[in-house]
Amino acid sequence: MANNSTAEFQPRITLLYCRQSLAPEVKPVQGSRTGQGFSVRLVLLPCSSKVQLPHLMRLLEQGSDGLQIAACPEKACQHLVGSTRAEKRLNRGRELLEQVGMGAERLGLERGAGLSLEDLMQMAGRRADAARALGPNPMKGV
Amino acid sequence: MITAEWKPIEEMVGYLRGHKKVLVIGCATCVAECAAGGEREVETLAPLLAMAMQNDGNPVEVKSATLERQCEPEFVEAIAEAAAEADAIVSLACGIGMQLVAERFVDTPLYPGVNTTSLSLREEPGLWTSRCAACGDCVLGLTFGLCPVARCAKSLMNGPCGGTRTDGMCEINQDTPCIWRLIVERATARGRLEDLTQVRPPKNWSNSPAGGPKRMLREDLRS
Ligand code: SF4
Ligand code: SF4
Repeated sequence: MANNSTAEFQPRITLLYCRQSLAPEVKPVQGSRTGQGFSVRLVLLPCSSKVQLPHLMRLLEQGSDGLQIAACPEKACQHLVGSTRAEKRLNRGRELLEQVGMGAERLGLERGAGLSLEDLMQMAGRRADAARALGPNPMKGV
Repeated sequence: MITAEWKPIEEMVGYLRGHKKVLVIGCATCVAECAAGGEREVETLAPLLAMAMQNDGNPVEVKSATLERQCEPEFVEAIAEAAAEADAIVSLACGIGMQLVAERFVDTPLYPGVNTTSLSLREEPGLWTSRCAACGDCVLGLTFGLCPVARCAKSLMNGPCGGTRTDGMCEINQDTPCIWRLIVERATARGRLEDLTQVRPPKNWSNSPAGGPKRMLREDLRS
């Protein structure tokens, strides 16, 4: 497999977060950041319900080691059922990833309200831990 | 609509071993409505197949396209160029669309990405249930608009069978209503229960799939 041993492996995470989950004073950010032992690309969504399987699968095909979705608490979704639907889709995605040998844990969702940038980085870090256990995405560099 | 469901990805991987350039195609009509083979499903499956083949040790390049209708020759032409570049095609259309593509691109192996399963109604979001089995001798006029061929587990013409559960569901599948119970209820509601006691001539099954391949010819429409 990859050149990186697990010890050196710094997962590349994509974090898609719902704008509404941020604390009011937090300015939405996009782009790349570096965390402890991982890097993350932050992608702003108007609502987590915008998450669709084709996007998630393409991101993994293109080499992301893990994808984390940050959604609002279930009852706080501005579209009422948006984040519930996102979670259902995500669960289907996790099943499919298991079937193709990528590992379900490359994809996850966490909920939160009033989030700070630090909270988002911690969520990305937790997905990085899960991805680290699976090893580098075999699609990297393909 | 015609409904279909994805084959296990493992089965598709088995088909694709030894191929290098795969074209995944869908159809924006029935199979899109039943969430098996529309653009969304094609664009989900294409990267998944690339990942599955990579993990299988047989990397492939996967391209994708969704046709307006895979069962019409004019629409199939849209993928002529992509098909010429591919050494295998995976289709998420129903068996009809798949066979038209296989006929048009006869040198390129075509593999089914779905199993075509039924003629169904979308009853609620995420739930499709059989309504017709294309039996070729429709009896809906005798059964109060409820199909005993597609919707009775035994395709009985003179049900119920006696096994109906106390909650009215079929003895074969507790999630499916006994259609003969519904037929009797509808007949009763219309005050026409007696109709169901009439002796009818046997149903003509020779016009059903059991009668062999169907060939429907209309001289008035031929050029
Ligand atoms: S009786 Fe035959 S044609 Fe009519 S709905 Fe049932 S299967 Fe279809
Ligand atoms: S219980 Fe009803 S639907 Fe089921 S097999 Fe018997 S008659 Fe058919």
